[in-house]
Amino acid sequence: MNRTLNVVRMQLVNRATYIWVPLMVLGGTIVITLAIFGLIASNGNVEVDMFGGGAQAPLWYFAVVGVQALTLTFPFSQAMSVTRREFYLGTLITAALTALGLALLFVIGGFIEEVTDGWGLGGYMFRLTWVWSQGAVVAGLFFFSLAMLFFVVGFCGATVYKRWGNLVLTISLIGLALLFVAGLWLIGQLQAWPEVMAWFGSLTPISLTGAMLAVAAVLAGGSYLMLRRSIA
Amino acid sequence: MTAVIEVKNLTKRYREKTAVDDISFTIERDSIYGLLGRNGAGKTTVMSILTAQNFPTSGDVRVFGEAPYENAGVLRRMCFVRESQKYPDDATPLHAFRIARLFYPNWDQPLAERLIAEFQLPVKQRIKKLSRGQLSAVGVIIGIAARAEITFFDEPYLGLDAVARQIFYDRLLEDYAEHPRTIILSSHLIDEVSNLLEKVIVIDGGRIVMDEDTESVRDRAATILGDSAAVEAFVAGREVIHRESLGRVTSVTVLGALTAADRAALAASGLDVAPVSLQQLIVRQTQHAAPADEGALR
Amino acid sequence: MVEEGRPLFLQIAESVEDSIIDGSLSEQDQAPSTNELAAFFRINPATAAKGIAMLTDKGVLIKRRGIGMFVADGARELLLGERRAAFADRYLDPLLAEARKLGLGPDDIARLLQARATTTTTEGTAR
Repeated sequence: MNRTLNVVRMQLVNRATYIWVPLMVLGGTIVITLAIFGLIASNGNVEVDMFGGGAQAPLWYFAVVGVQALTLTFPFSQAMSVTRREFYLGTLITAALTALGLALLFVIGGFIEEVTDGWGLGGYMFRLTWVWSQGAVVAGLFFFSLAMLFFVVGFCGATVYKRWGNLVLTISLIGLALLFVAGLWLIGQLQAWPEVMAWFGSLTPISLTGAMLAVAAVLAGGSYLMLRRSIA
Repeated sequence: MTAVIEVKNLTKRYREKTAVDDISFTIERDSIYGLLGRNGAGKTTVMSILTAQNFPTSGDVRVFGEAPYENAGVLRRMCFVRESQKYPDDATPLHAFRIARLFYPNWDQPLAERLIAEFQLPVKQRIKKLSRGQLSAVGVIIGIAARAEITFFDEPYLGLDAVARQIFYDRLLEDYAEHPRTIILSSHLIDEVSNLLEKVIVIDGGRIVMDEDTESVRDRAATILGDSAAVEAFVAGREVIHRESLGRVTSVTVLGALTAADRAALAASGLDVAPVSLQQLIVRQTQHAAPADEGALR
Repeated sequence: MVEEGRPLFLQIAESVEDSIIDGSLSEQDQAPSTNELAAFFRINPATAAKGIAMLTDKGVLIKRRGIGMFVADGARELLLGERRAAFADRYLDPLLAEARKLGLGPDDIARLLQARATTTTTEGTAR
């Protein structure tokens, strides 16, 4: 357990990767979004609340972190005589801690927006109505699982690459895309769009959180199985 | 002597080639081994398999009596910094050493600092911006300061100039003398490292062609030089591993230590005897053993 | 300093023996340690140890428990005796072989020897 915790410390040694850059990305997005809100608001009386998608920016960065956790830190962990299991658990724990931090910031941002009525501009990037429809805790959990999902997708993709190489990874991605398109076609064929839309409408944050965590768990489990046979 | 590593019938096969072909050897504790061979002979593959960074196709590997795969108890007592080691993005040598300190229980920080000064390593500069020599220095410092019970050095001096290489050899020997441990050093610069080695294992084409005490091998061959007829007369019946001619002068490398009687006979025939360095012996012996492969690209 | 083609431990032993013979290492003096020799010649300590072990077996060095290796009493005489016995093999045989090649007989050699010997004893070290 001690060595696993040391993996966490190893990942955090370069504080930039897991702390400063996500904060900078978030900070940057906030500034840009606020500027946009300000511009729109100053153009005239806005009746409707504005919603910006800025909160997602750190998530994409987090997916990249997931990739690099494997491509760059895994080989070094091997040189440090760390087992694959210790590396895997330690890295996931680090990701979870960071995701937790991001989720907390997301919730705090939401509270700020609630209190200031949207930064005094009626603009919201954290307190997105649907996400907060079941309360702050669920909103936090939602954002946490979204962040973990992004991380694990990056990590898993990189593990496929390490284990089987470029070709297999590309084929998998194309395969997934084809499956998705096939799914859309099938829905069309069965004229099931109304049902699909209804189902989407009935989704609650908690159910989507559950789904995301389930997918993340599956991808994470698969990553571990592949990691066990990967060569740095 | 206790064996710390036991390898039996190890084979590693890739689709295109067999990198390691049914090799067996033992590593005794607290000795310095040279794992010698040409580029592509299989040295890095063997070391990767011993440290569970790579997997055997077949065969058995035991380190401290156990299989090393995912075995934290065994792995933490080994250190293997490979020749082109990858480091975390934007990491500096300082980060790398700080992390090494977390994982290597015997890490000696004052020693690391002394080495950093001697190699003049800029510790706050990002590793990806370092020169090849400085990158090697990082690996060398980790390898020495970690004081792991089994330490592997994989061609550790690439990019290091002659002065830096000498620093490495000197500091390694010095620390080994005070803190004995098992060291396995892979190299294709045989003569440069030969004085450090207690034992040599030579790998050629994935097979072990020599596994001996360095001292036993040192006087194993001699080069006889002189008039062709006289030379041929002397070497008749001996194992010749190399032959060169220039006009009427022939130079022949023979296996087998020369006795006093031999030397007298040589002096009487007016033939010269030249010593054969470890590198020459290994090169000539491996060329001799596999003449068919000499043109093959690796 | 270190020759190719000869075991290092022999060369180490010889180096220590040379010091004893020329007097820089006297009887009852402490001999250089294994680590000192290894560092000086830049060789593996185990090899240096082998050389020291050989000298101990020969009776040139003795081990004093807890302190170290010391030059044994009578070591110098022992080594001188050994070298004198080998002198003819090591130095005279090659000399005679070369002389034969050049057509110099034993009388020629004796004359050269006398001439050279007197000049070196006046210039070189005694004994």
